[in-house]
Amino acid sequence: MAKSSRGPGSGRRRADLREEASAPAGGDVNLASPSGQAAHSAGAGPANAPRFRIFIVDCGWNSPARRVLLDNFSLIRELQQDDPIYVLSREKSIDLARRYGSRIGRDPILAVHDMAALERDGTTGFHGFRLSLGLLRTPQQALLGLQSFVRFLVTHRRSPDLEADIRANLRREGLMGAIDIMMQHESRDLVSDV
Amino acid sequence: MFDRVGEVMSLILGALAVGYLVYEVERRRRKLHELWDVLDDDDAVITAALQDMVESGELQPFAGASLA
Repeated sequence: MAKSSRGPGSGRRRADLREEASAPAGGDVNLASPSGQAAHSAGAGPANAPRFRIFIVDCGWNSPARRVLLDNFSLIRELQQDDPIYVLSREKSIDLARRYGSRIGRDPILAVHDMAALERDGTTGFHGFRLSLGLLRTPQQALLGLQSFVRFLVTHRRSPDLEADIRANLRREGLMGAIDIMMQHESRDLVSDV
Repeated sequence: MFDRVGEVMSLILGALAVGYLVYEVERRRRKLHELWDVLDDDDAVITAALQDMVESGELQPFAGASLA
């Protein structure tokens, strides 16, 4: 994933993309009235502006991941008070899934837009990350994924280079996975010795 | 003769073990990247669409207590 094609055309491209995406997505948003969080727009100023915008896309599959998300959402909100969370209605989520078919079955998806990166470079290159919670098949996996997600957000709110942090985390997880595989082999060896 | 066969078998088994380890690490790495993915140029349109929904007021920050 080469991400950093930042150039003079990025602003124009962002404007183009905005035009491209301005068509109404269809379906009403099933949300409660806006809270005070709405006042914190990205352009409100660097001191109190939220670093992230969090979007939850959920078509409504009857899955363990969805149940875990529903059960823990209020806690996530309490832990993640500084950044607004936008919950797309089922209709909007389905509309997005229809337009981007490869996402089907991965939801609930928690997409995080890094407002610092978006303001700097627009949608060109790195501008956030997402957790495809629906890929986790058991409640335990989904809960661990959700906890990692919130931990990462809380501990990296002020990160000057979020992309590097994410990549470092993924590398570390990959390394841990390799160690895990070797440890499993070792434990199997130990078991077979008994 | 048997020594040679034993050596060849050890080599083959060792290569298979290393191959399996590399395959398994790569498989897990791919799964991890499917699960956690960065938003980049490929996601530009969907990101712009979501940002537009927010800017236009079509999407508001969630204010309820729970999703259920």
